[in-house]
Amino acid sequence: MNLEDCHNFDDFRKLAKKKLPSPIFHYIDGGSDDETTLKRNTEAFNSCDLIPNILRGTGKPDLSTKIFGRKINIPLFLSPTAMQRLYHPDGDKASAKAAEKFGTMYSMSTMANNSIEEISNISSGPKLFQLYIHKDKSITDDLVERCKRANFDGLCLTVDTIVAGNRERDHRTGFTTPPKLTLNSLMSFAMKPRWVFDYLTNKKFELSNVKNKTDKGTNITKSVIEYINEQYDPGMNWKDAEYVVRKWNGPFALKGIMSVEDAKRAIDIGCTAIMISNHGGRQLDGSTSPFDQIKEISDAVGDKIEIILDGGIRRGTHVLKAIAAGAKACSLGKAFLFSLSAGGQKGVEKLLQNMQNEIERDMMLMGCKNLEELNISKLIYRK
Amino acid sequence: MKLKDCHNFYDFRKLAKKKLPSPIFHYIDGAADDEITYKRNTSAFNDVDLIPNVLRGVESVDLSTTIFGKKIDLPFYCAPTALQRLFHYDGERAVGKAAQKFNTMFGVSALATVSVEEIASLIDTPKMFQFYFHKDRGLNDSCLERAKAAKFDVLALTVDTITGGNRERDLRTGFTSPPKLTLSSLYSFATKPMWGINYLTKGKFELPHLQDYVKEGTSTNTSIGNYFSTMLDQSMNWNDAEKLCSQWGGHFALKGVMSVEDAKRAVDIGCTGIMVSNHGGRQLDGSRSPFDQLAEIVDAVGDKLDVICEGGFQRGTHMLKALSIGAKACSGGRLYLYALAAAGQAGVERALGQYKAELVRDMKLMGCTKISDLNRSNLRFRKNES
Repeated sequence: MNLEDCHNFDDFRKLAKKKLPSPIFHYIDGGSDDETTLKRNTEAFNSCDLIPNILRGTGKPDLSTKIFGRKINIPLFLSPTAMQRLYHPDGDKASAKAAEKFGTMYSMSTMANNSIEEISNISSGPKLFQLYIHKDKSITDDLVERCKRANFDGLCLTVDTIVAGNRERDHRTGFTTPPKLTLNSLMSFAMKPRWVFDYLTNKKFELSNVKNKTDKGTNITKSVIEYINEQYDPGMNWKDAEYVVRKWNGPFALKGIMSVEDAKRAIDIGCTAIMISNHGGRQLDGSTSPFDQIKEISDAVGDKIEIILDGGIRRGTHVLKAIAAGAKACSLGKAFLFSLSAGGQKGVEKLLQNMQNEIERDMMLMGCKNLEELNISKLIYRK
Repeated sequence: MKLKDCHNFYDFRKLAKKKLPSPIFHYIDGAADDEITYKRNTSAFNDVDLIPNVLRGVESVDLSTTIFGKKIDLPFYCAPTALQRLFHYDGERAVGKAAQKFNTMFGVSALATVSVEEIASLIDTPKMFQFYFHKDRGLNDSCLERAKAAKFDVLALTVDTITGGNRERDLRTGFTSPPKLTLSSLYSFATKPMWGINYLTKGKFELPHLQDYVKEGTSTNTSIGNYFSTMLDQSMNWNDAEKLCSQWGGHFALKGVMSVEDAKRAVDIGCTGIMVSNHGGRQLDGSRSPFDQLAEIVDAVGDKLDVICEGGFQRGTHMLKALSIGAKACSGGRLYLYALAAAGQAGVERALGQYKAELVRDMKLMGCTKISDLNRSNLRFRKNES
């Protein structure tokens, strides 16, 4: 199996599974507790049906949209995800370049293995920085300043990881950052010698954006759960969020909004966008899925704030349904990490090409010329 | 397993799978993306239950209905499907003759492997010609004139293939038309030698309606998705459909209508029928199923044109439910294609006979003796289920 055989999400997942040591594969693939919410994130799209229109003579549809003040060519971008060096030696560089090539947004996690400056030097495409608020407040100020200097377009503050989710697969595989050889995991690393070779012969693993402030996660091995619980401020509140909004003074999103009430409050503190997300089903299991919740949120605040749907997207038709229900764009986490693992920059490009083809085909089959034509009248929810 | 062991849709499917090289089987069996809409097309029937009436005196049942001005003896017919000679060497001849035997309508595809002239000379049961709107207007005129000269009763313009669906099984098996031997498909062809012998010895594979105009499809191997995307006119609009309707000058249908708005517009341009269809789930996955959408469309336009429900039918009771909502008739492709692959004309006759027997039995159990006895009071929709 190689990249040419990857036609869909499951294919990329399968190829990633072949390439990655199992603790790393399961870190991407897993959710929290019983993974009920993880599964629902995708299944939710089947609770409604698309109603196509015919004979519209649409020709090639325009797939562009605008988020965080930037036009993107497809209504789909790469979510911020941590530690991409674990999946491919090129890490964030691969995803940033692939996103730039497709004219869409790349997002950088606070826990990236490349620095803000490094990525800004190699990509002039739209860029979003994802922020975690650390207990050490000087980290926040430092990150915001650096993003400004590096010309990032938007900032998003993750608000659904106030404490780490119970990711049981990581307990079982002993996943840590940086990866640590344990008796348990030895076998799975030994079976992927190519990964180990790449990992050891490329740049040292580090949390590039915070390494000058803390050794944890760079030189001191931590499980992600420990890292979150030690480093992030569990007392984070609306005031802290407002502080960052003001400090940034540009396009700003809260990532992890799930209620109408909080969406309204996001507007009040000056956010320009929200990302409806449950962190890919990795935090609170049993919580509602982004697609199940989007219509209510869009009805309440859709005319005042940009809505981005994050989580569960596997198909072009999922993107179409999200947009019809009120999203300006969608973002991909797992899908793109599997494609990164499967083939680095080429892998992510193949995924984005597949998704662009699907969205374009689906728009034509719907009889829609542009994304504005996709509205709630194109959906029927099953009873 | 033999033809006499085929008692239902699923048995025919199993036998077809045994007989066909796998790329060809999966071309019939597959659908778009994750095949969610394909599955929903059938599972939608399970969201509603039949309410039978008793003591109605039901010794004789009349299954006839009238569509496009023609009386047919069954409330279902063979939808137009492409490339039938890939499935059995008799292809459209087998299906046409079987339809004739039951006096129901036979749909012939623009991508048929037997010509409209030959079909017209073989059978006199009502016939529909399915039309694709090509970029080449000469080809369009030729198809229309030939169908007219051959005295076809209905022209159906397919409107849900403005671009090819994402049929991933075909991507994996490398399905093309005519079939092409590749290293990965060689094995599957080699293990079905009878199919290969018949394919090579029973006449050359042709697309008679297209071959004077194009090389695609007849001598050059092409995928169906590629044909849709490169040969059909993606700018096709309502004006084109209206012109075609008046150029045809007879019964005219749009195949692939899914919204009330478009159904009303079909009335406006002079259509006498529509097929509520999503192309057997083979085009836009995640789109609504015909049965889910049927009531709304029947309510809006059912008194102005013939509404035909197409797709998902695997049982007589499924048809009963669609007819109770108000469909004038039901149609399907896989409905008879597995049977064609399983045993040619004899297979299709056995399949049509079984659906007929199921319908007669089900009508009696419902306490109904004619199709017009069926209505929505026979049905109860279950609540809160998806």
